[in-house]
Amino acid sequence: MTAWDDMTDDQLLAELREAVAEVDQVTDRQREAARAAFTWRTVDAELAELLHDSALESTAVRGADDAARTLSFVSGPITLEVEIDGDTVMGQVVGAAAESVLMQRSIADDYPLPVDPSGFFRIEGVAPGPVRFVVQAGDWTLTSPWVAI
Amino acid sequence: MTAPDSLAVLVSRAQEGEQDAWDAIVERFLPLVGAIARRHRLSPADGDDVGQTVWLRLVEHLGELREPAALPGWIRTTARHECLRLLAARGRTRVVDPQAGGLDTVTDDLTDAELLAAERRQALRDALAELPEGRRELLLLLLVDPPLAYEEISRRLGIPIGSIGPTRARAFAQLRDTAALRSLGPDHTGDPS
Repeated sequence: MTAWDDMTDDQLLAELREAVAEVDQVTDRQREAARAAFTWRTVDAELAELLHDSALESTAVRGADDAARTLSFVSGPITLEVEIDGDTVMGQVVGAAAESVLMQRSIADDYPLPVDPSGFFRIEGVAPGPVRFVVQAGDWTLTSPWVAI
Repeated sequence: MTAPDSLAVLVSRAQEGEQDAWDAIVERFLPLVGAIARRHRLSPADGDDVGQTVWLRLVEHLGELREPAALPGWIRTTARHECLRLLAARGRTRVVDPQAGGLDTVTDDLTDAELLAAERRQALRDALAELPEGRRELLLLLLVDPPLAYEEISRRLGIPIGSIGPTRARAFAQLRDTAALRSLGPDHTGDPS
Protein backbone atom coordinates (compact mmCIF):
# COMPACT_ATOMS: atom_id res chain seq x y z
CA MET A 1 0.00 0.00 0.00
CA THR A 2 1.17 3.52 -0.68
CA ALA A 3 0.12 7.08 0.04
CA TRP A 4 -2.97 8.13 -1.89
CA ASP A 5 -1.07 10.40 -4.26
CA ASP A 6 1.34 7.65 -5.20
CA MET A 7 -1.45 5.29 -6.19
CA THR A 8 -2.75 5.05 -9.71
CA ASP A 9 -6.46 5.62 -10.30
CA ASP A 10 -6.85 1.87 -10.91
CA GLN A 11 -5.17 1.02 -7.60
CA LEU A 12 -7.38 3.51 -5.83
CA LEU A 13 -10.43 2.03 -7.55
CA ALA A 14 -9.47 -1.47 -6.39
CA GLU A 15 -9.16 -0.35 -2.77
CA LEU A 16 -12.38 1.63 -3.09
CA ARG A 17 -14.09 -1.56 -4.29
CA GLU A 18 -13.00 -3.38 -1.11
CA ALA A 19 -14.15 -0.45 1.01
CA VAL A 20 -17.62 -0.40 -0.54
CA ALA A 21 -17.88 -4.20 -0.35
CA GLU A 22 -17.54 -3.94 3.45
CA VAL A 23 -20.77 -1.97 3.58
CA ASP A 24 -22.60 -4.92 2.01
CA GLN A 25 -21.35 -7.22 4.76
CA VAL A 26 -23.27 -5.34 7.44
CA THR A 27 -26.33 -7.42 8.38
CA ASP A 28 -29.76 -6.08 9.31
CA ARG A 29 -29.33 -7.76 12.67
CA GLN A 30 -26.12 -5.81 13.36
CA ARG A 31 -27.74 -2.58 12.22
CA GLU A 32 -30.84 -3.07 14.36
CA ALA A 33 -28.80 -3.98 17.45
CA ALA A 34 -26.51 -0.99 16.98
CA ARG A 35 -29.42 1.40 16.60
CA ALA A 36 -31.19 -0.10 19.61
CA ALA A 37 -28.11 0.51 21.77
CA PHE A 38 -29.11 4.18 21.86
CA THR A 39 -32.16 3.36 23.98
CA TRP A 40 -29.66 2.70 26.81
CA ARG A 41 -28.53 6.30 26.76
CA THR A 42 -28.77 7.89 30.19
CA VAL A 43 -27.78 11.40 31.08
CA ASP A 44 -25.42 11.86 34.05
CA ALA A 45 -25.07 8.15 34.65
CA GLU A 46 -21.98 7.41 36.67
CA LEU A 47 -20.50 4.07 35.82
CA ALA A 48 -18.73 1.78 38.21
CA GLU A 49 -15.04 1.35 37.64
CA LEU A 50 -13.81 -1.97 36.32
CA LEU A 51 -11.23 -3.11 38.84
CA HIS A 52 -10.43 -6.43 37.30
CA ASP A 53 -11.34 -8.71 34.41
CA SER A 54 -9.45 -11.97 34.12
CA ALA A 55 -9.99 -11.80 30.34
CA LEU A 56 -7.78 -8.72 30.26
CA GLU A 57 -4.87 -10.46 31.95
CA SER A 58 -2.18 -12.48 30.28
CA THR A 59 -2.57 -16.24 30.19
CA ALA A 60 0.31 -16.60 32.64
CA VAL A 61 -1.51 -14.51 35.26
CA ARG A 62 -4.98 -15.89 34.86
CA GLY A 63 -3.89 -19.52 34.66
CA ALA A 64 -5.59 -22.18 32.61
CA ASP A 65 -7.79 -20.98 29.77
CA ASP A 66 -10.70 -23.09 30.98
CA ALA A 67 -10.81 -21.34 34.37
CA ALA A 68 -13.92 -19.29 35.13
CA ARG A 69 -13.79 -15.63 34.17
CA THR A 70 -13.83 -13.21 37.08
CA LEU A 71 -14.67 -9.53 37.04
CA SER A 72 -14.99 -6.91 39.74
CA PHE A 73 -16.43 -3.42 39.74
CA VAL A 74 -16.37 -0.68 42.34
CA SER A 75 -18.54 2.34 42.91
CA GLY A 76 -18.41 4.30 46.18
CA PRO A 77 -18.41 1.79 49.04
CA ILE A 78 -19.84 -1.02 46.89
CA THR A 79 -17.75 -3.70 45.25
CA LEU A 80 -19.35 -6.22 42.91
CA GLU A 81 -17.53 -9.48 42.28
CA VAL A 82 -18.77 -11.57 39.36
CA GLU A 83 -17.73 -15.00 38.18
CA ILE A 84 -18.80 -16.37 34.81
CA ASP A 85 -18.45 -20.09 34.25
CA GLY A 86 -20.11 -21.30 31.07
CA ASP A 87 -23.72 -20.17 31.27
CA THR A 88 -23.59 -19.72 35.06
CA VAL A 89 -23.19 -16.25 36.51
CA MET A 90 -22.54 -15.90 40.22
CA GLY A 91 -21.30 -13.12 42.37
CA GLN A 92 -21.28 -11.17 45.57
CA VAL A 93 -21.90 -7.60 46.61
CA VAL A 94 -19.37 -6.44 49.19
CA GLY A 95 -19.18 -3.22 51.20
CA ALA A 96 -22.88 -2.54 51.62
CA ALA A 97 -26.01 -4.59 52.15
CA ALA A 98 -27.44 -5.19 48.67
CA GLU A 99 -31.17 -4.74 48.32
CA SER A 100 -31.27 -5.77 44.70
CA VAL A 101 -29.07 -6.90 41.87
CA LEU A 102 -30.38 -6.44 38.37
CA MET A 103 -28.85 -8.14 35.36
CA GLN A 104 -29.50 -6.14 32.21
CA ARG A 105 -29.20 -7.55 28.70
CA SER A 106 -28.98 -5.26 25.71
CA ILE A 107 -31.93 -6.73 23.84
CA ALA A 108 -33.99 -8.47 26.55
CA ASP A 109 -35.88 -7.56 29.70
CA ASP A 110 -34.06 -6.74 32.91
CA TYR A 111 -33.49 -9.79 35.04
CA PRO A 112 -33.64 -9.34 38.84
CA LEU A 113 -31.23 -11.71 40.55
CA PRO A 114 -32.21 -13.15 43.92
CA VAL A 115 -29.57 -11.98 46.37
CA ASP A 116 -29.10 -13.59 49.81
CA PRO A 117 -28.35 -11.70 53.06
CA SER A 118 -24.60 -12.16 52.51
CA GLY A 119 -24.88 -10.49 49.13
CA PHE A 120 -24.45 -13.69 47.10
CA PHE A 121 -26.32 -14.37 43.89
CA ARG A 122 -26.22 -17.09 41.28
CA ILE A 123 -28.05 -17.73 38.02
CA GLU A 124 -27.77 -20.42 35.37
CA GLY A 125 -28.71 -20.52 31.73
CA VAL A 126 -27.33 -17.08 30.86
CA ALA A 127 -26.94 -16.70 27.11
CA PRO A 128 -23.82 -15.07 25.61
CA GLY A 129 -24.00 -11.37 24.79
CA PRO A 130 -23.54 -7.97 26.37
CA VAL A 131 -24.51 -7.74 30.03
CA ARG A 132 -24.37 -5.20 32.79
CA PHE A 133 -25.28 -5.19 36.47
CA VAL A 134 -27.12 -2.64 38.55
CA VAL A 135 -26.78 -3.00 42.32
CA GLN A 136 -28.92 -1.06 44.75
CA ALA A 137 -27.63 -0.79 48.33
CA GLY A 138 -29.21 1.86 50.49
CA ASP A 139 -28.49 5.25 48.95
CA TRP A 140 -25.84 3.78 46.67
CA THR A 141 -26.27 2.46 43.17
CA LEU A 142 -23.59 0.61 41.27
CA THR A 143 -24.04 0.41 37.49
CA SER A 144 -21.35 -1.62 35.75
CA PRO A 145 -20.11 -0.85 32.26
CA TRP A 146 -21.35 -3.20 29.52
CA VAL A 147 -19.34 -6.38 29.13
CA ALA A 148 -19.66 -9.07 26.47
CA ILE A 149 -19.82 -12.50 28.09
CA MET B 1 -24.30 8.54 2.78
CA THR B 2 -23.67 11.33 5.24
CA ALA B 3 -21.04 13.93 4.50
CA PRO B 4 -18.07 13.24 6.79
CA ASP B 5 -17.62 16.86 7.80
CA SER B 6 -20.92 16.62 9.63
CA LEU B 7 -19.55 14.14 12.17
CA ALA B 8 -19.25 16.94 14.73
CA VAL B 9 -22.89 17.83 14.11
CA LEU B 10 -23.97 14.19 14.36
CA VAL B 11 -22.10 13.67 17.62
CA SER B 12 -23.52 16.85 19.08
CA ARG B 13 -27.07 15.91 18.06
CA ALA B 14 -26.66 12.37 19.37
CA GLN B 15 -25.46 13.85 22.67
CA GLU B 16 -28.76 15.73 22.73
CA GLY B 17 -30.56 12.43 22.39
CA GLU B 18 -31.50 12.46 18.71
CA GLN B 19 -31.88 8.90 17.50
CA ASP B 20 -31.53 9.75 13.79
CA ALA B 21 -28.10 11.27 14.45
CA TRP B 22 -27.08 8.13 16.33
CA ASP B 23 -28.37 5.98 13.45
CA ALA B 24 -26.22 7.98 11.03
CA ILE B 25 -23.11 7.50 13.19
CA VAL B 26 -23.84 3.78 13.41
CA GLU B 27 -24.40 3.50 9.65
CA ARG B 28 -21.06 5.09 8.99
CA PHE B 29 -18.98 2.92 11.30
CA LEU B 30 -20.78 -0.46 11.21
CA PRO B 31 -18.56 -1.65 8.31
CA LEU B 32 -15.41 -0.77 10.27
CA VAL B 33 -16.55 -2.59 13.42
CA GLY B 34 -17.61 -5.62 11.34
CA ALA B 35 -14.28 -5.70 9.50
CA ILE B 36 -12.31 -5.62 12.75
CA ALA B 37 -14.41 -8.44 14.25
CA ARG B 38 -13.94 -10.59 11.12
CA ARG B 39 -10.19 -10.08 11.19
CA HIS B 40 -10.04 -11.33 14.75
CA ARG B 41 -11.73 -14.52 13.54
CA LEU B 42 -14.54 -14.37 16.06
CA SER B 43 -17.56 -16.56 15.40
CA PRO B 44 -20.34 -14.58 13.67
CA ALA B 45 -22.37 -14.62 16.92
CA ASP B 46 -19.41 -13.42 19.00
CA GLY B 47 -18.63 -10.83 16.34
CA ASP B 48 -22.17 -9.49 16.63
CA ASP B 49 -21.83 -9.43 20.44
CA VAL B 50 -18.58 -7.49 20.21
CA GLY B 51 -20.18 -5.03 17.80
CA GLN B 52 -23.16 -4.55 20.08
CA THR B 53 -20.82 -4.05 23.04
CA VAL B 54 -18.88 -1.38 21.15
CA TRP B 55 -22.10 0.55 20.47
CA LEU B 56 -23.31 0.18 24.05
CA ARG B 57 -19.96 1.46 25.30
CA LEU B 58 -20.13 4.37 22.90
CA VAL B 59 -23.57 5.23 24.28
CA GLU B 60 -22.00 5.18 27.77
CA HIS B 61 -19.17 7.47 26.71
CA LEU B 62 -21.02 9.71 24.27
CA GLY B 63 -21.55 12.44 26.85
CA GLU B 64 -17.83 12.65 27.56
CA LEU B 65 -16.81 12.84 23.91
CA ARG B 66 -15.55 16.41 23.41
CA GLU B 67 -13.63 15.93 20.17
CA PRO B 68 -15.73 14.27 17.45
CA ALA B 69 -12.61 13.79 15.32
CA ALA B 70 -11.42 11.29 17.92
CA LEU B 71 -14.49 9.11 17.38
CA PRO B 72 -13.17 6.90 14.54
CA GLY B 73 -10.03 6.12 16.57
CA TRP B 74 -12.09 5.44 19.67
CA ILE B 75 -14.34 3.01 17.76
CA ARG B 76 -11.38 1.20 16.20
CA THR B 77 -9.52 0.90 19.51
CA THR B 78 -12.61 -0.21 21.42
CA ALA B 79 -13.58 -2.77 18.77
CA ARG B 80 -10.09 -4.26 18.81
CA HIS B 81 -9.97 -4.27 22.60
CA GLU B 82 -13.38 -5.94 22.92
CA CYS B 83 -12.44 -8.56 20.29
CA LEU B 84 -9.31 -9.54 22.19
CA ARG B 85 -11.22 -9.51 25.46
CA LEU B 86 -13.95 -11.84 24.21
CA LEU B 87 -11.39 -14.14 22.58
CA ALA B 88 -9.64 -14.37 25.95
CA ALA B 89 -12.95 -14.98 27.71
CA ARG B 90 -13.58 -17.84 25.27
CA GLY B 91 -10.15 -19.25 26.06
CA ARG B 92 -8.92 -18.75 22.52
CA THR B 93 -5.89 -16.56 23.06
CA ARG B 94 -2.56 -17.84 21.93
CA VAL B 95 -0.45 -19.12 24.78
CA VAL B 96 2.42 -16.71 25.07
CA ASP B 97 5.68 -18.61 24.82
CA PRO B 98 8.71 -16.40 25.54
CA GLN B 99 10.80 -18.58 23.20
CA ALA B 100 8.41 -17.80 20.37
CA GLY B 101 8.37 -14.05 21.04
CA GLY B 102 9.55 -13.19 17.56
CA LEU B 103 6.74 -15.09 15.94
CA ASP B 104 4.22 -13.44 18.23
CA THR B 105 5.51 -10.02 17.29
CA VAL B 106 5.09 -10.77 13.61
CA THR B 107 1.50 -11.81 14.19
CA ASP B 108 0.75 -8.59 16.09
CA ASP B 109 2.30 -6.45 13.36
CA LEU B 110 0.12 -8.15 10.83
CA THR B 111 -2.91 -7.28 12.91
CA ASP B 112 -1.78 -3.66 13.07
CA ALA B 113 -1.41 -3.58 9.30
CA GLU B 114 -4.87 -5.08 8.91
CA LEU B 115 -6.35 -2.53 11.30
CA LEU B 116 -4.66 0.23 9.37
CA ALA B 117 -6.08 -1.17 6.14
CA ALA B 118 -9.55 -1.21 7.74
CA GLU B 119 -9.05 2.43 8.70
CA ARG B 120 -8.02 3.28 5.13
CA ARG B 121 -11.19 1.66 3.79
CA GLN B 122 -13.20 3.70 6.30
CA ALA B 123 -11.48 6.86 5.03
CA LEU B 124 -12.27 5.87 1.44
CA ARG B 125 -15.96 5.42 2.26
CA ASP B 126 -15.96 8.82 3.99
CA ALA B 127 -14.16 10.34 1.01
CA LEU B 128 -16.72 8.89 -1.38
CA ALA B 129 -19.48 10.46 0.69
CA GLU B 130 -17.77 13.85 0.38
CA LEU B 131 -17.90 13.84 -3.43
CA PRO B 132 -20.69 15.53 -5.35
CA GLU B 133 -23.38 13.01 -6.21
CA GLY B 134 -22.56 12.75 -9.92
CA ARG B 135 -18.91 11.92 -9.31
CA ARG B 136 -19.79 9.46 -6.56
CA GLU B 137 -22.31 7.72 -8.83
CA LEU B 138 -19.67 7.41 -11.53
CA LEU B 139 -17.10 5.87 -9.18
CA LEU B 140 -19.69 3.44 -7.81
CA LEU B 141 -20.54 2.34 -11.37
CA LEU B 142 -16.83 2.02 -12.21
CA LEU B 143 -16.20 -0.40 -9.36
CA VAL B 144 -18.97 -2.77 -10.32
CA ASP B 145 -17.50 -6.22 -10.81
CA PRO B 146 -17.52 -7.46 -13.56
CA PRO B 147 -16.96 -4.00 -15.07
CA LEU B 148 -19.77 -2.22 -16.88
CA ALA B 149 -19.20 -1.10 -20.47
CA TYR B 150 -18.81 2.68 -20.90
CA GLU B 151 -21.96 2.55 -23.09
CA GLU B 152 -23.89 1.26 -20.07
CA ILE B 153 -22.38 3.85 -17.70
CA SER B 154 -23.16 6.55 -20.26
CA ARG B 155 -26.76 5.37 -20.46
CA ARG B 156 -27.23 5.15 -16.69
CA LEU B 157 -25.71 8.55 -15.88
CA GLY B 158 -26.97 10.30 -19.01
CA ILE B 159 -23.51 11.60 -19.91
CA PRO B 160 -21.62 11.21 -23.21
CA ILE B 161 -19.22 8.25 -23.46
CA GLY B 162 -16.42 10.64 -24.35
CA SER B 163 -16.75 12.50 -21.06
CA ILE B 164 -16.49 9.41 -18.85
CA GLY B 165 -12.69 9.19 -19.04
CA PRO B 166 -12.04 12.85 -18.17
CA THR B 167 -14.76 12.83 -15.47
CA ARG B 168 -13.25 9.67 -14.00
CA ALA B 169 -9.85 11.36 -13.77
CA ARG B 170 -11.36 14.45 -12.14
CA ALA B 171 -13.35 12.29 -9.70
CA PHE B 172 -10.18 10.51 -8.56
CA ALA B 173 -8.32 13.79 -8.22
CA GLN B 174 -11.17 15.13 -6.14
CA LEU B 175 -11.26 11.92 -4.08
CA ARG B 176 -7.56 12.31 -3.24
CA ASP B 177 -8.25 15.87 -2.19
CA THR B 178 -11.14 15.10 0.18
CA ALA B 179 -10.80 15.94 3.85
CA ALA B 180 -11.24 12.24 4.65
CA LEU B 181 -8.16 11.15 2.68
CA ARG B 182 -6.13 14.26 3.48
CA SER B 183 -6.74 13.82 7.20
CA LEU B 184 -5.60 10.22 7.09
CA GLY B 185 -2.44 11.58 5.52
CA PRO B 186 0.98 10.10 4.86
CA ASP B 187 1.17 8.57 8.35
CA HIS B 188 -1.40 6.02 7.28
CA THR B 189 0.26 4.64 4.22
CA GLY B 190 -0.24 1.09 5.39
CA ASP B 191 3.34 0.69 6.58
CA PRO B 192 3.13 -0.13 10.29
CA SER B 193 6.83 0.51 10.96
